[in-house]
Amino acid sequence: MASTSARATAWASAVCAGVHAAGSRHVVYVPDNPLSHVLRALRDDYPDITTTIATREEEAFGIAAGLFVGGVRPTVMLQSSGLGNSINALTSLLVPFKIPVLIVISMRGDAGEWNAAQVPMGRAVRPILESIGVPHVTAESPETTAESVRCVGDNAFETRLPAACLLPRRLTVPGA
Amino acid sequence: MTRLDATKRLTAQLDKEPVIASLGHPAYDLFAAGDRPENFYTWGSMGLASSMGLGLAMARPDLRVFVLDGDGSLLMNLGSLATIGWTRAENLVLIVWDNGEYGTTGGQDTATRHGADLEAVARAMGMTTAVTVRTAAEFHAAVARAKSTPGPWTIVAKVEESVPTVKPPLDYVMIKQRFMAAIGTRDA
Repeated sequence: MASTSARATAWASAVCAGVHAAGSRHVVYVPDNPLSHVLRALRDDYPDITTTIATREEEAFGIAAGLFVGGVRPTVMLQSSGLGNSINALTSLLVPFKIPVLIVISMRGDAGEWNAAQVPMGRAVRPILESIGVPHVTAESPETTAESVRCVGDNAFETRLPAACLLPRRLTVPGA
Repeated sequence: MTRLDATKRLTAQLDKEPVIASLGHPAYDLFAAGDRPENFYTWGSMGLASSMGLGLAMARPDLRVFVLDGDGSLLMNLGSLATIGWTRAENLVLIVWDNGEYGTTGGQDTATRHGADLEAVARAMGMTTAVTVRTAAEFHAAVARAKSTPGPWTIVAKVEESVPTVKPPLDYVMIKQRFMAAIGTRDA
């Protein structure tokens, strides 16, 4: 059972490893079900990473902006539905002031989705990110996820822009 | 007490403390009161000044972080008070210029003119150190306490609208870079 469980959440450990390798030591988040595995792995395996729960995704980006100007590389984790709550923070604070954040987005609305309320935003995530100038990559497998997250983080912190790594449901809920 | 008067009184009490100002009139008045590199003028992201202040306060516990918010802006992000209350950032001082109106957009009423009590909200969210002040003397005393005793502080300052005549620089990256240099942030 333990090995099954470990395999099922290998992607979550890989996300944590990528965040850590990018030098980020503070994760601000609004939780969802897949991200709960990431947060558990952070708590268990990365005591040097601080976590803060925000009440809303936009607030999380505001907190992240303050962390960055204070010298901490921030990560924001959210579900794709929360990107809609984040756009003003991204477009009027982080992008114009060139404040970088590593963004990890747990995708809903893609392959395997059962809830129609998640589908329009899920479909819109990539076009929205592209239209507001936030680069994104999609993690493809547990084996490549750590590297994908780290590369996105490096890209964000080197270029001083927010950048996003998307976690598709085929990764986070295999077999869904 | 107008907002500009109060802002000038505040900056006269400050040394090198960082100040993050909400967009529009709070930022304009902070600039009018005297530009300093420790000022971070936001130009958008309405509602997020207190969140940004919390992030900085958590990253830099050695600093006392001041935030200048407006009543309308704080009403847009009341959840921020819950997070501040939870995290108990003792070095955060949230000053809310409460003039009962959306001053930057033409003076439409905010809910505080119709009974909303932001000090009570702050207390309900876990900030025991919350006060409402109505005079220059009360404001001075509250800032002095907030500078020297643990917070997180919420100071709701009842002020009259004052029409700004100057605006801060529009070079956002410059504002950020000089702010970070002034508070001694090494490049993250």
